[in-house]
This record gives sequence, C-alpha cells and structure tokens, in this order.
Amino acid sequence: MDRAWRLPSIPALVHLLFIRPVLKLLFGVHVEGREHLADLDRFIVVANHNSHLDTLLLFQVLPLRHLRRTHPVAAFEYFSRSRFGRWLAEFLVQPVWIVRGGGDEDPLAGMRARLSRGRSIIIFPEGTRGRAGEMARFKTGVGRLAAEFPDVPVVPVFLTGPEKALPKTRSLLIPIWNQVSVGPPCFFHGSAGEFTAELEGAVRELAAGVVPSHRRRKRTRRPPTLAVLGIDGSGKSTLSRALARRLSADGRACLVSDGVELFEGGAAVQAPPLLTEKVRTTLGRRTKVAGSLKSYKIPKLAELLLRDHVVDGLRDWYAPDVIVLDGSPLLNITAWTGLYRREALSQAMCLSVLRVLSGQGMSLPADDPVYRTFPELGTVERLRLAHLGVPDAVLFLDVDPGVSMERIRSRGEERQAHETADKLDRLRDGYRLVCRVVEGELGIAARTLDGALGAEDVADRAMEELRRLELPAFAHLTGLTEVDSHG
Amino acid sequence: MPFEAPQITVAALFAVLTLLALIGRRLGVASAVLTYVPYLWAFFLFFVLSEFVSFAVGIWVLAALSFLALREFFTLVDLRIQDRWGILAAYLAIPFMFWFIQGDWYGMFIISIPVYAFLVIPAVIALSGREVEGSVLSIGALDLGLFFLVYCIGHIGYLALYSTWTAILVVAAVAVCDLFAWLLKARDRAPVPGVALEILAPAPVIAVLALAVRPWTGLPLVHSLVLAVGIPGLVALGCHTIDHLEADLGIDRRRLQPGRGEVINTLKSFVYVGPVVFHYLRYFLDTY
Repeated sequence: MDRAWRLPSIPALVHLLFIRPVLKLLFGVHVEGREHLADLDRFIVVANHNSHLDTLLLFQVLPLRHLRRTHPVAAFEYFSRSRFGRWLAEFLVQPVWIVRGGGDEDPLAGMRARLSRGRSIIIFPEGTRGRAGEMARFKTGVGRLAAEFPDVPVVPVFLTGPEKALPKTRSLLIPIWNQVSVGPPCFFHGSAGEFTAELEGAVRELAAGVVPSHRRRKRTRRPPTLAVLGIDGSGKSTLSRALARRLSADGRACLVSDGVELFEGGAAVQAPPLLTEKVRTTLGRRTKVAGSLKSYKIPKLAELLLRDHVVDGLRDWYAPDVIVLDGSPLLNITAWTGLYRREALSQAMCLSVLRVLSGQGMSLPADDPVYRTFPELGTVERLRLAHLGVPDAVLFLDVDPGVSMERIRSRGEERQAHETADKLDRLRDGYRLVCRVVEGELGIAARTLDGALGAEDVADRAMEELRRLELPAFAHLTGLTEVDSHG
Repeated sequence: MPFEAPQITVAALFAVLTLLALIGRRLGVASAVLTYVPYLWAFFLFFVLSEFVSFAVGIWVLAALSFLALREFFTLVDLRIQDRWGILAAYLAIPFMFWFIQGDWYGMFIISIPVYAFLVIPAVIALSGREVEGSVLSIGALDLGLFFLVYCIGHIGYLALYSTWTAILVVAAVAVCDLFAWLLKARDRAPVPGVALEILAPAPVIAVLALAVRPWTGLPLVHSLVLAVGIPGLVALGCHTIDHLEADLGIDRRRLQPGRGEVINTLKSFVYVGPVVFHYLRYFLDTY
C-alpha cells in the first residue's frame, strides 16, 4: 500500500518535532481552510511573499505525507551567499532553485521536472519578497506552468503576519501571530495570462477575508457635513444613504439618519454603539407615534438637538471623512418654525432664527423681533442648547407634496402628525426659504434637486452637483474627484 | 485522608470544565462560550500545578497566557517596522516579572514594568531607529499592551502565591460575571439597566461562592461580601474599557480567532479585577 506507515526521514522529524512546535509556540500559526489541501495528491501552491518565514509557514500547513514531496521555488543567488544557508534549505525544504536572469535556461524546467515526477510545488509569483503588507502583480510563469499541467490543482494561499514577524529589511525575528488562509483549488482554463490574473484575484480575495486590524490614521481634517433636506416622502433618506455609500469609496462616511450608519470602502460596516445615539433613536421612535403636532414638537426638538450632539460625537468616535446628514438639525428646525408660524417667517426672520440656533444670537439685539415671535428660541438659548452645527453643503430634494403623500401612503406605515398635504406644502416653502437664506446670506452652497426622479438618477445628479461645486471642504473625497462608475 | 475537600472541589471543577468543553463541541453553542473554555482550562492548569505540584511551575502557565495576549496585541496594533526592538523588550518583561512573582519578590514585581520596562522601552525605540514620526504613539501602544496584558494579569499570579484559593475564587467570580454578561447580552437591552443587571445579578452567586470557600481562602466575611459586589463592577468597567480599545484595534467580536482578538477578548474581564482585588486584600489583610 502506498500510504502504509513508513519511518519518517530525518528532515521530516525535524519538521515535526522541532520546527512545527517552535513556530506554533512563538508565532501561533492560525490556519483557515486547511481542508482544501487535505485530499490533494499533487498541487501547486501559490502564495504572497513578504518574508523568509513564508516557506516554513506553508510547510506548517502541508499534510504530513507531502512534507518531503513539496518543493518551494527559491532564488539560487540569494542562498549561494552562504553554504550553510543553502545546506539548511536543501535539508529542510528541498527547493527548486531558479537563477534570476539565468540566460536562455528555461526557468520552469526544474518545476516541470518535479511536477511530472508527481511532486508538488510552492510558488511565490510576485517574484521576490514584496514590501511589508503589499502585494505585487503576479508574474505569468505560474500560469504557463499550470497550462502545461492542467490536471494539477492550483491552491491560492494568503499569508499574513510574516511581514511583521520578519520583514524583508530586518533580521530580528519577533513573535507575531501568523495566519495562513488556504483557498479552494482551481484548475487551469483560458490563457496563461488570464489564469495568472485569476490566481492573483483569488489570493487578494483571501487577503480581503482576513479580519482587519488597527490602522493609525492622521486626523487633521475636520470632516465636512453634507445635509440632505426634503419633506417627508421626498426620498431624502434613500438619497443620503446612497451618497454616504458613494462618498465612502476610498474612506469612511457616516450617515446620520434614523440611526447612525457607517460606510467604509463603499459598503456598510458595523458601527460601534454610542450612548447618545441610543437615547436619540428612542426619542425618534416616540415622535413617529405622536398624535398631534403639539405632542410631536418637544420630542422632535429634543431628537434634533441630540442629533446635532451625535454629529459632534461622531467626529471624535468614528473619525469619518465625511458626514452625511439626513436632514440638518439647524435647517430643519428653522424650516419647521414656518410650519408653526407661517405668516411670521420672512427672509429676515429666517436669518435671525438661523443665527440664534447656530450660536450667533449674541450678534442680535435682545429685543429682536425673533424672540417675540418665537419665545422658544429664547429658552433654547438660555439653556445653552443653541449651538447647532452649520453644514458645509446643502442638497434640497424638492418634490411636490402630492407625490410625497402618494409615496408615504404606499409605504403602508402609519402617518405621522404632520404628514398632510397642506402641512407638507408649508414645510416645503420653509425649506425653500431656508435654502435661499443659507446660500444668499451665509454663503453655503445649497442646491435643489428634482425629487420626482428615480433614486439612482437623483443620486447621480447629487454627485454631479457636488463635483461641480468643487468645495474645498470636500476636496479630499476621492469618490467625488474620480468619475465613478455610476456617473 | 486521601481525599479532602480541596481535592474534591478541584475534581468537581475539572468535571465542570470537561462537561463545558464537551457540550461546546457537541452542540457548537455560541462561539463566545467555545472560545472561553480553553482559557478557563489554562487557569485551571495554573491552579492545579501551583497547588499540587509547585507554584514555581504553575506560574509559567499564566506567563504563557500573558505572552499569548501580548502577542495578539502586537499583531493587531499598527506598529512601525523600527519598533521591533521595543516589541522584543516588551516580551522580555514577561519572564522577568513572572520570575519575581514566583520568587515572592514583591518590590521588584511591582516596579518591574512601571519603572524598568517603562524606562527601557522608550530608550530602545530611540536607539533602534532614526525615524521620529510616530514614536510617541508606538511607545504608548507598547506600554498599554504591557500594562494591561502582562502587569494586570500578573497580579492574579501574585494573588495565587498568597492564596491559591483566593485566586481560584477571583477567577471563578469573573467567569460567573462573564456568563451573566453573555446571557444578558443575548437580549438587546437598553444600556443603563443592562449594566446594572450585569453588576447586580452575579453578586449573590459570587457571595455564595466566596462564603463556600471561606475555610480555604480565610477571607473575613466583610471582605468576601465586598468582593462579591466589587468584582462584577470591576468586570463591567474592564469590559467597557477594553471593548473601547477593541473597536480601535479592529477586533470584530463576531469573528474572533486566535491572533485576531480571541485572547484579549477573553482576558478583558480580568484586567481590572486582578490588580484592584490584589491591592485591596493586601491593604486590609495581614496575611497578604
């Protein structure tokens, strides 16, 4: 029987009794997907290369019967410098030597010979050890080799840890946890170039599957805020979510909507909880079931004030590159004043309200008409709650109240206190006025979008508007500067 | 008498742990329990070796646990390539500190990391590279790992030197707190009553435990009761603090694996309990 028990050779014993335990003890090797190698008789392992530790780590993963039947590809000139080093390499891993720039000698010859003898090969297709943590493009040699042996499975492997434990430029080995991720085997198809690219993709995919770790980031920039305004049912939640997703293409974006959502690299990620946020969502639920405008007012105001507080917290806690607000507390409250006192809201009054709420009330005289019309503002100021953030850019999603009422009806939820055509119409007027004042008096870019369009179209338009505005506060967002695939 | 109460208790603990491990394997219960069990085994091994073989042998199990945690921390934290000698110096602090513990050299144990490692690491970093940018953060990160995962855990070792049974009680109490926290977190509760429950629910259980092992720990009644309330509070504080750090380290509690948060996440409850309980008892009791 082929697999009958045989006395292991001395190098195999060294692996089993010395190298494996020492590596495990000092470098805690964690293996994912070991089963992908278990049943193979012959294989080509393809891995990223950062360190001399890589080969030994791969030998840690090999099934026992392959220990002496697997040959890593190694550069001869590196080992030719030391006779002992070469002997050790020969003794432990029996490499296939290749000579870089070896003239007309076929570099694949050695590998071909081993494979046709039923042996297995380990290749690092990046050619040489890359810079720590970076992966270079794969060279096509592996694709050509696989093309010659289409029945030999090629196993992609991603190694992480060696680039920290023994990086290229250092000789000091330090204990760091290593992880070996083995992917499912693939068989050759297509052309050598295509197959190489596919293998590289497979290794990169394994790399993406590794749990991410701590990254130092420099936080010198205050993340800008982008406010999306619109009456209920205008699709502003959908738009702000789409914008947060798109703006996070190369960084982090935070969305403050009914809850706080965090986006990274164009996808939603789990946000660690904030206590204020929990209180706010509880309040938010309360407003949704309010019976009248009166009982709606106080929780809604508290919710908006807290929402503003949360935005401050987000800057410190999540360090996003941009914050997208589904409704700006400052502008919403201002527009809402029009809902309660329609006749009183003029351009001048609106500006005063904005000034008071954003903490510039000191510049107004104490007998300013705004305090008489809206005595609540005086209270808010006395309670030192009037320091709401001014957004860096505003998008107003304008839609006819009739259309939005239709959308609210089709959602099938219970209607909120203010969701009647008449009130929404007043609210719409309020938002329009606020946008005019914000743009004209405060010098903040405010753009109006047609909310009757489909969600994707609106998001495209919004990105287009932001790009055209060329605001310095948004200049760092590559999602804006580069033409995205949607645009 | 061949079997006395302590031995029987140890046997019972052994049985409970085996049962836990078996149940975990068989049912594949929530991963939190599965990852926890091996670390309980490590503590168990530490106590059995120090009580029935020799403390000088058992303490190295705890040292190994510290090493695992510190290695995980250094794997996760974003250190610069030139911090390598500093990392090595931090690792070297482990054998020294645990050697002082097993030799009952309190003075050296208590200053080894806060004084010597604290002074050596910045010096090593300054000597080993010319790149200055990021040195402050690197030294801070190295010290943080060393203090939390070696110095704080080491206090449990020193507690075991004074009284193995007190240390067993502390570890069991922390395990009880973690169990309650796990059970309570299974339901999504509002934060405030949740934390209060996590502190108040385990207290009676710990009080019963503390009173049951009083003949061996020799703890006075008052202190047993103080510990019963204090330990859950410290566990909650420690968990909250380390959770905060975990979020920065990138530890994803849904995807714990060795080297990616498993060790730190398991030991987080001990980080505050170890030193505070140790110094509390040392202050109030003459035998410590």
